[in-house]
Amino acid sequence: MTEDADQLTDIEQDALAEIANMGVSRAAHSLRQMVGEEVVLSVPAVKIVTRQAASKLVERNNAKKLVAVQQSFEGPFAGRALLIFPEAQSLELVRAIVGDEHSLEDVIDLEQEALAETGNIILNGCLATIANVLHRTMRMSLPSIVRGDGARLFEVNETSSGGQFVLFLYIDFNIKKRNVHGFIALLMDLPSIAALKDIVNDFVSGIEKQPSGHAG
Amino acid sequence: MLDNASDLVVGPVFDTVDIGLVVLDSHCCIVGWNEWIARVSRRKARDVLGKTLLEVFPEVQHTRLTEVIDDSFRAGSSSILTHTLNELLPLQGESGEPLLHNIVVRPVSTVHASYCLLQITDVTVAVTRERVLRERQNARYHAIVDSAPDAIVTIDDNRNIQWVNGAVDDVLGYSHAELLGQQIDILLEPGSPLLQALAQTSVDSKAENAISVVGRHKHGKSGYFDVSLGHWRADQRNFVTTIWRDVTERMEADAALRDARDALQKSNEELESRVDERTREREIALQQLHESQKMESIGQLTGGVAHDFNNLLAVILGSLSLLKKAVPDNPRVSRLLDRAILGAERGATLTTRLLAFARRQELKVEFVALQKLIPEMLDFLRHSVGPNVVIHIEILPEVCAVEVDANQLELALINLAVNARDAMPQGGTLTIACHNENHGTRVGLPRDPFVCITVTDTGEGMSAATLARAQEPFFTTKGVGKGTGLGLSMVQGFTAQSGGAMRIGSEPGKGTKVTLWLPRAKESSAAAREETQPIQPAEARSLRVLLVDDDILVSMGAADMLLDLGHSVTEAQSGSYALKVLESDGPFDVVVTDYAMPGMNGFELAQRIKAGHPRLPIVLATGYAELPADRSIEFGHLSKPYTSKDLAAALEKALVARRP
Repeated sequence: MTEDADQLTDIEQDALAEIANMGVSRAAHSLRQMVGEEVVLSVPAVKIVTRQAASKLVERNNAKKLVAVQQSFEGPFAGRALLIFPEAQSLELVRAIVGDEHSLEDVIDLEQEALAETGNIILNGCLATIANVLHRTMRMSLPSIVRGDGARLFEVNETSSGGQFVLFLYIDFNIKKRNVHGFIALLMDLPSIAALKDIVNDFVSGIEKQPSGHAG
Repeated sequence: MLDNASDLVVGPVFDTVDIGLVVLDSHCCIVGWNEWIARVSRRKARDVLGKTLLEVFPEVQHTRLTEVIDDSFRAGSSSILTHTLNELLPLQGESGEPLLHNIVVRPVSTVHASYCLLQITDVTVAVTRERVLRERQNARYHAIVDSAPDAIVTIDDNRNIQWVNGAVDDVLGYSHAELLGQQIDILLEPGSPLLQALAQTSVDSKAENAISVVGRHKHGKSGYFDVSLGHWRADQRNFVTTIWRDVTERMEADAALRDARDALQKSNEELESRVDERTREREIALQQLHESQKMESIGQLTGGVAHDFNNLLAVILGSLSLLKKAVPDNPRVSRLLDRAILGAERGATLTTRLLAFARRQELKVEFVALQKLIPEMLDFLRHSVGPNVVIHIEILPEVCAVEVDANQLELALINLAVNARDAMPQGGTLTIACHNENHGTRVGLPRDPFVCITVTDTGEGMSAATLARAQEPFFTTKGVGKGTGLGLSMVQGFTAQSGGAMRIGSEPGKGTKVTLWLPRAKESSAAAREETQPIQPAEARSLRVLLVDDDILVSMGAADMLLDLGHSVTEAQSGSYALKVLESDGPFDVVVTDYAMPGMNGFELAQRIKAGHPRLPIVLATGYAELPADRSIEFGHLSKPYTSKDLAAALEKALVARRP
């Protein structure tokens, strides 16, 4: 494990994707409970990028108006977690969750609260799962809503900000036949990334030992 | 443990805050319950402490609350549960109304233990305020949109109508419910420009001007609309709000205005074309007027010249005839005199023709049967046209008689025949045909009925220019010395004076057709003519004659003739003088007076004389037809120029007429 701290090996990548998928599945379960219908969440890809790169990645299709649910976390690794959508998609997501019977006006009224709670569920799902899987305890803040373009969300122009790197996860929602694409970003500084990678590697080696031991 | 918990929950602040606070230990038992939550849940702290949350609120098991509390302990996560997405606790306000609330769940750790803090926030006021605000805003919005006179229709990507305002009923005849969910196409004609515009524009395209479309009302009626489009986007979907302004009235007013303008222009054009037409007609009429004025002037001039010339010829002829009597035995002188008389007589013939053209000749109107007159002329006509020309005569038995001067008619026909001959130097056919014409008014004649005589040749014809001048006197196409140019003029004058007309039709190479319309004789006049009696010659006796003529030369000639006839003559140079002579120097046996005299004319004089001396015979000597036809019968009549023989006959006739 002597690779660059800011790069993930294939195994690390697979493991993080696996953990993230476990997290969002938990969130999906919570959402299903709320919505009363099938909710499918999936994380197809994970990578580590710079904040600048992340700010470009989230402006997919040049959609500069973004909305994000943000929670900070601390523990063995610390940073900020963001669930990011294009603004139009966020409304679509809220509409999917609160139901079609609500008028557009209602949805706009509810958007802030509903989005905060939904984001909270998903981010908690991911972070709690990471904590559980890695047998670590973390403290997470309450969610807040941030609006703006990629640069604003990732504070590209603020050098004092702690996190330099972003663990970047694509997330796809499928709720009531609507498809919503978003991103989960975990902003962390290099020590936190290193700590995460260490923990992930411990977890991986733990899993590798189990089947061999089991087989042996 | 409880000591620690007490540290967390004891104190006046815990019970004073205006949110609900509940503290749970790691077994999910309630260790903290503040005043606020006690109030809205109607549960005292002492009743719930030590119990699990599920025991206090059994309904919680169906919510996420237990789960997030678990996460809080296990993973240290903080959660928010909103009233929007969750059914939460059965809390009530002071008056029993359900309390809308959000719950925040946070982990709380001390050195010794972990706790979970539930913060319950009343959002009833905020939600109510939002609702009121929105309703107020909506009311304002609806006030604007629903009071708009234009129909406002919002459609989605699939052109399905999502929303309409109240004006659609008035503007398009549909109710709200009838339109929602329908395609906007039902309001439009197939291929409407609005559908094209919808297909071609999007949120990003610039606002266009209103599109003019034909809109369809509910009941099939159509109207004109200006529709403006506003694209917008919400919830990832594209919408278009269309605003329909009814411009039917304006369009109809425009159309009416356009029609009126067109009609005005059309009538202007018609007016112009009628003005043009009238101008053309007027020009033609003026041309005809000028032509007839020219002919009239020429006629007057010719008539005047001929009249004076006639008087001179009368003197010459009279004098020559007297002279011949005076020298009867000198053959040489006699021959010269005969030649002079012949010349003077030819001069008289010429003046007769001139007078005929001027319509001033003396016409002896009589009953003429064409079936008789024309065949009788045939030999003479054949002689006139020569052997190369074949003459056809076509006269049906039913052709009526005419009332004209027979001699003049013969002369006219001979003139036309000679013209025809000259037009056919290589020979040809001359046709003289007659038929009854009952519809003369159709060809521009003043009255009906007529008899029509056509004289047609197969000659060389005339050009339009020649034809136009053919009736002018002295116009001739014949070589100098060959024709007088008076032929057609004379025929034209004769027909006009007789109350008829003449037309010439000709084209180069196609011959010439001259048509004469002559008045049909009345049946009664035919009978009247039958009884004309031959004049009985009176016994020769010497008469006392009063001769009235303003022209001394003519008067002298006439006096000489009278003297030669054995009468005595008293001359008077004016009517008034004649009346004086009649009173002072009477009685006279007969009065011979010229007609055309300055002051009192011959007719007036004759009437004055008749008034005083009803039995005195009067002879009017006239050079041309100055007398109205009916009056001439009253008195004896003598045509100038006359010979002494003519004079004797006139005197005789006048005496016989007055004979008791």
